[in-house]
Amino acid sequence: MKSLKHISLAFCAALAFGLGSCSDEFLDQPAIGALSDDVIANQAGLEKLLVGAYAALDGNQFGGGSAWEKAPDNWVYGSVAGGDASKGSFGGDQPAIDPIAKFEADASNGFFNSKWRAGYEGINRTNAILKLLPNVENIPEDVRKNIEGQARFLRGHYYFDLKKMFNMVPWIDENTENPNQPNDKDIWPMIEADFLFAYENLPTTQPEAGRANNWAAAAYLAKTYLYQKKYNEASPLFTAIVASGQTSSGEKYGLMDEFHDNFNPSVENNKESVFAIQMTANDGTNTIANANEGGMLNFPYNSPFRCCGFYQPTQDLVNAYKTNPQTGLPYLDNWNNNPVKSDMGVSSGDPFTPYEGSLDPRLDWTVGRRGLPYLDWGHHPGANWIRDQSYAGPYAPKKNIYWQATEAEHADQSSWAPGTAINVLVIRYADVLLMAAEVEANLGNVALAREYVNQVRRRAANPQGFVYKYANPAAPMNGFSNVPAANYVVAEYSAADMGNTEDALKAIYFERRLELAMEGHRFFDLVRWGIAESSLNSYFAYQGSLTSDVRGGRFVSGRSEYYPIPLRQIDLSVNAEGVPVLKQNPGYN
Amino acid sequence: MNNRQLPKLRELLIILLMMCFSFDLLAGMIPGNSSEEERFVVVKGVVYDTESGETIPGVNILEKGTNNGTITDLDGSFTLDVADNATLVFSFVGYLSQEVAVQGQSSLDIRLSPDLTSLEEVIVIGYGSQRKQDMTGAVSVVKTDELIQQPTAQLTNQLQGRVSGVTITGSGQPGEAPQIRIRGINTFGNNDPLYIVDGVASSGINDINPNDVESMQVLKDAASASIYGSRAANGVIIITTKKGKGKVSVNYSGYAGVQTVQKGNPWNILSPQEMAELKFTALRNTNPGEAINDDQYGNGQSPVLPNYIAPVGANTVDESLYNLNPFYSDPSELNNFYRIVEANKEGTNWFQEIFNPASIQSHDIAVSGGSDQGNYFFSMNYFDQQGTLMNTYMKRYTLRSNTSFNITDNFRIGENLAFSLTDNPRVDARTEGSAIGMAMRQQPIIPVYDIRGNFAGSFGSGLGNAKNPVAMQERMKNNRGEGTRLFGNVYAELDFLRNFTARTSFGGQIANSNWNSFTYPEYENAENGSQNRYNEAASSNINWTFTNTLTYKNTFNELHNLSALIGSESYKNTGREVGGGTLGYFSFDPNFTTLSTGAGTQTNYSSRYSDALSSIFARVDYSFNEKYLFGATIRRDGSSRFLNTQYGWFPAVSAGWRISDESFMSGSSSWLDDLKIRGGYGIMGNQINVSPSNAFTTYGSSRTASYYPIGGTTIVEGFQQTRIGNPDAKWEKNINSNIGIDASLFQGRIQFTADYYRKDIDDLLFTPELIGSAGTASPPAVNIAQMTNQGIDMDLSGYFDLGRDFRLNTTITFTSYNNEIVNIADGVNNFDVEGRRFNGSTLVRNQVGHSVGQFFGYEIEGFWNSQAEIDAANEGARASSGNSNAVYQESMGVGRFRYADQDGNNMVTSSDRTFLGNPHPDFSYGLNIGLEYRSWDFSMFLYGVQGNEVWNNVKWFTDFYSSFAGAKSHTALYDSWTPQNHNATAPIQEGTGSFSTANVPNSYFVEDGSYLRARQMQLGYRFAPSMLERVGISNLRVYVQAVNLFTITGYSGLDPELSRGGTDTSFGIDEGSYPNQKQFIFGLNIGI
Repeated sequence: MKSLKHISLAFCAALAFGLGSCSDEFLDQPAIGALSDDVIANQAGLEKLLVGAYAALDGNQFGGGSAWEKAPDNWVYGSVAGGDASKGSFGGDQPAIDPIAKFEADASNGFFNSKWRAGYEGINRTNAILKLLPNVENIPEDVRKNIEGQARFLRGHYYFDLKKMFNMVPWIDENTENPNQPNDKDIWPMIEADFLFAYENLPTTQPEAGRANNWAAAAYLAKTYLYQKKYNEASPLFTAIVASGQTSSGEKYGLMDEFHDNFNPSVENNKESVFAIQMTANDGTNTIANANEGGMLNFPYNSPFRCCGFYQPTQDLVNAYKTNPQTGLPYLDNWNNNPVKSDMGVSSGDPFTPYEGSLDPRLDWTVGRRGLPYLDWGHHPGANWIRDQSYAGPYAPKKNIYWQATEAEHADQSSWAPGTAINVLVIRYADVLLMAAEVEANLGNVALAREYVNQVRRRAANPQGFVYKYANPAAPMNGFSNVPAANYVVAEYSAADMGNTEDALKAIYFERRLELAMEGHRFFDLVRWGIAESSLNSYFAYQGSLTSDVRGGRFVSGRSEYYPIPLRQIDLSVNAEGVPVLKQNPGYN
Repeated sequence: MNNRQLPKLRELLIILLMMCFSFDLLAGMIPGNSSEEERFVVVKGVVYDTESGETIPGVNILEKGTNNGTITDLDGSFTLDVADNATLVFSFVGYLSQEVAVQGQSSLDIRLSPDLTSLEEVIVIGYGSQRKQDMTGAVSVVKTDELIQQPTAQLTNQLQGRVSGVTITGSGQPGEAPQIRIRGINTFGNNDPLYIVDGVASSGINDINPNDVESMQVLKDAASASIYGSRAANGVIIITTKKGKGKVSVNYSGYAGVQTVQKGNPWNILSPQEMAELKFTALRNTNPGEAINDDQYGNGQSPVLPNYIAPVGANTVDESLYNLNPFYSDPSELNNFYRIVEANKEGTNWFQEIFNPASIQSHDIAVSGGSDQGNYFFSMNYFDQQGTLMNTYMKRYTLRSNTSFNITDNFRIGENLAFSLTDNPRVDARTEGSAIGMAMRQQPIIPVYDIRGNFAGSFGSGLGNAKNPVAMQERMKNNRGEGTRLFGNVYAELDFLRNFTARTSFGGQIANSNWNSFTYPEYENAENGSQNRYNEAASSNINWTFTNTLTYKNTFNELHNLSALIGSESYKNTGREVGGGTLGYFSFDPNFTTLSTGAGTQTNYSSRYSDALSSIFARVDYSFNEKYLFGATIRRDGSSRFLNTQYGWFPAVSAGWRISDESFMSGSSSWLDDLKIRGGYGIMGNQINVSPSNAFTTYGSSRTASYYPIGGTTIVEGFQQTRIGNPDAKWEKNINSNIGIDASLFQGRIQFTADYYRKDIDDLLFTPELIGSAGTASPPAVNIAQMTNQGIDMDLSGYFDLGRDFRLNTTITFTSYNNEIVNIADGVNNFDVEGRRFNGSTLVRNQVGHSVGQFFGYEIEGFWNSQAEIDAANEGARASSGNSNAVYQESMGVGRFRYADQDGNNMVTSSDRTFLGNPHPDFSYGLNIGLEYRSWDFSMFLYGVQGNEVWNNVKWFTDFYSSFAGAKSHTALYDSWTPQNHNATAPIQEGTGSFSTANVPNSYFVEDGSYLRARQMQLGYRFAPSMLERVGISNLRVYVQAVNLFTITGYSGLDPELSRGGTDTSFGIDEGSYPNQKQFIFGLNIGI
């Protein structure tokens, strides 16, 4: 059957032809909607990568975990854990924060893993720039230095954040091949090197206000020295910053006249803003991803803000703002004696008269309390805006709250809880002054230290910056009267109050709390000062007697100074020999 | 004249044109007429059924050893020119074939006997068909008549329990495709089987009209499935749709019925007064000795329900203050509303508020017919199932046209084409965020509506943060989504040179779907969305499969049966999606809202994808004397998803031995019709778990993740690394061994099939979680994991005459598999999934040595009944750890859970978590019983699952006061730990959850999920033909049916059958499921 052979041969040939002729191309499928690295290896691509490296500052939208688990303001790890605030809401919501607040959290708590991953994503974005940069030609030298400087500044920031959280963290830079590196080295020298490079290579003015400049790097470098108690290195740097520091817009650093301007997006990136994470509302995404999503829970409940009643300042913090009516100074000890009267257990329908004793005016820009103007939203109504007073007390946060008058621009309602355009202040000038004061006090320059502290208090004492009663309480948006909302008495320290380093430090420590409360610093300050155990355990004793959330909390010296290395990361660091490369911090299982 | 062996140029040209081959290559090779030497006779005859004596239309008649043949006409008669020494083979499905020598006769009357053993049954297999008796692979044949007894739109739902080796889990939601798993779980990714419909790969079979299905086969092992190569690893389901035959017939089948809702209070929610009492109990437990001053329930010793819950706790209200605009468009208006909501002191039963009895109906008309010139089948189906959950439903219209034309005796062309239009709004059940989840969470004191008929909700104080589920479902009633799909193929077949058949087929689908939804602003909840928003999107998919095969079949010396097949196939799949959203609508009228008409921010997005496969394959089947059977297949596939290793080879071999035909078995021939042992070994592939971008390292941008307002207000574009590439990814290999027996006893009255198999999945693609310090770009899938499945499938059927006109047939299927993860990745022993409300702790661990998806957490040993017990445990912890700060367990408290110390170090830490349950059943089974007595028939189908565990996460919400202030259960109030009740179910009720209550996954949530369900029961009556003839009807059957009439289970939730959702690495989790409901149906089949 000759024909049979022919036909089948032909058929086979045809089959093979059909396959062979086009299959290579047929199976060629590049990635859709993505860029390869050769497309971005140029100046324009690097600039975009740099913006991407800034975009990781908010910790949000990558790496898993909810935004509040890695919020850039560290409201959980710095402020709640530091005793400035309760977690808030009620016991059943976000219960993973409860053990963090009480230093009972174990390494498997997912919050730590989210924070860790967010930090290293920022680091990887900066490393991508630093890795690509040497291979890109045709970039002017100043542009190259600016890009490199900003990338290293950002990397320094990301590592600083991880360092103060976890202490021993692995160092990954642009030359690291294997990301599974041990956490056996102190990385302060590398952080210093990054900030030093940025300080020496960045320009002062930048085209956009959100970019880091040389002075921001100087301030961060000085802060790095301070954290290591390198006062001699820090002092000249702080002196230079105070003398000549400027914002990226070229404005000389200074304190805003009114304390609350720091928290108002209408005057953001002002002369007090050394480095801030930029937030914006209504950015066209129909999300709050660029609107401080990490803080979305932190608004009064059952209120115009809709959700969720978290981040309630503690009675312990409120009491700290009591001032001696004669001296106008805070009670550095025993501030919880004769506490500020609260509306605990008083329903919103029952009458309540706010505390009439003397107070630092910064209290009422930091804490929302019953019967006082809550910005231009009307008087805080007390219990109605609180989810569970017996759990987390009667107060509401305030620095993160937008004004009703500018709600349309500064608030973003496209999610189930609000976003805001309020920047997250990483370093502001008041912080610089107080850090400088701390450095000088430690070096024995008490007078200079006092001058720095008093600059901060002088601003606080400016009556222009007080909270005033509404002109018409029924129409809170119609403005304020000239009657202060509470009995504000605040004054500067005299030379007698700060006679020696010890007294000076005590005052400076306290001033940092008053000035920077609810800004994510407190816990980290307590730890580096070495007073976390005593401070926090007395906080637990006091606050635990009032609210159930932190009852039984205990700071354990030798363990609680640092958060545990996330268990998940230790598990993932197992090497070929089956041994984890990452070592857990002391005291954690 | 006859056309034996005579392919004509015209036919070849058509077929070759369709193949896109260069036909001029062939032009010179077409054979001319060969010489004719035999002499011919014309044979006429009629074919009868031996039992009934009726004539049989459609019987195949073939002159043996040739392609010369015909089929009987409507009267069972035939005419055929044959050689005078020819042997004719008469064959028809369901009858024993018969060979008759012509020996010069011109008239033959043939009697065919029904084939009870159905060994002659022809089974559709990959790229061909085979007699059941020659099968060497593990193939389950579905009884399609039993299948359509289940009233549902989905074939896959109907398949549950009908064949062994297939595990199917569905829900009560109309249109929700159940998950179908053949022989366990093979990958961490997509485990859906490959569907082949009329020879064309189909992404799914949800829109196939079950009434159109002629046959359905499940290919379970490598011997049967490997010919599908890289897509075979999850098993293959082959569906063949109907063809017409005989005279024109018109059939209508339809049914209509009602779906009921289970009665009462299925989650055991407390009354409002009891809720208040529980709250006071919990407050006292949390803050002992503190006075209670509750906004809603007052400050007395016992709680008092207020008359109104908004204003909070009011007993009288000023209705004139009421101010609410339910359709507000300015978000700031929300601040000015004044709500007045009366307390529902009787309690709202939210389950009953959202579930209502609903209708179901299906109407199907089919017209078909055929002759020796061709055949046609045309059908229309309308299916409408309203969901018992408000505003969920499935409406589907399907049209089918199958035709084939015999251009000549040896050349056929045809098409199969189906069009469907589906409208199917659904909810994402399984999670707390759905209306079902909210119904389980919303407090009973909240009424559905406020005093003016607007929605009431959790706004107020102490009412939790759940949403009003009635409002949720009402607000989605204008949301629309439609899907259309055109699916089918055209084909041509040519028989030539006695033994060859060439076939070419081009088929595929064009599928489109579009959907739009409107988000209303909320006002009644504690946490309200205040924006209005309209979203619309559309997606389309086009894929095609082009298949060419050449088959050779021959018999040598009447002993050697050989068939061989070679073929090639190309597959291309492309698709896209576009969508957008707009905020800020002036009016919420659904006739007004479009993407263009909102005043607020507009967003849009789009995506595209494309992938391709290119394949060649071959098969050889050989049998000696019908006793010794051998088969081999091989396929080479190329996939666009891989870069460096695009091609893979997938071979399989199999053999069978029909012991019953051996002479030493002749003694048993009185009772043993057939006994066959068969075995196979082969490799199946898998490539769907790889993103088409897997090979590439890419950068990209995202407005949310890489844009940044660097100047302060406006976001500007930034880049991030989005993906890390793995150019070396390659095929998953599923190495499968199967051994089985087929037996037929007592003239086919008992048939038994059993298979044991083992599948070792090597080079399993897994996407390992990268260490955090590597950043968060998507890591690539790598060929690193391993898994095994082994199990037993058994089918047993029996046909019994119980008396005169009284017959019983019964089928039992049994499915059992054991899945084990052998390796995940270097140094990676496990990966965890499913967080739910456990804040970072996960409840499912996939670990080496265990099955995929096992529940993982702390095992509860009991309660801490006294402080002394706690102190003693802490003492032990301190002693064994040497740490004076050590505690036995975090957050210990009297009345809380005591967890087991698994590692014996006197401390409960994360290393004491253990496996708490396995969602895989030990086995599942189906039992079908059919009884026929004269004109009456009765059938019942039972389906059961045994030995699986369910994670009942509903209890997290209802049994713990601390888990949000939502609705709580009787267990929380009456069966929780108190100083008087140490023998409790739930722990002490407190305001705050803790590690020692409900903050971490623990064994409290694990329940046995075994059940036995009466899937359907049906009583039918068939009218006698004599009665029907007068009205011109050929057959009429009516029936009544009960679906899901009873379920026997110890599971406490709504339904132990829990649909799985998208992933196989976690399933069997109940957080408010859409239950399967009872249905009562009346149905009717008419044939004209």
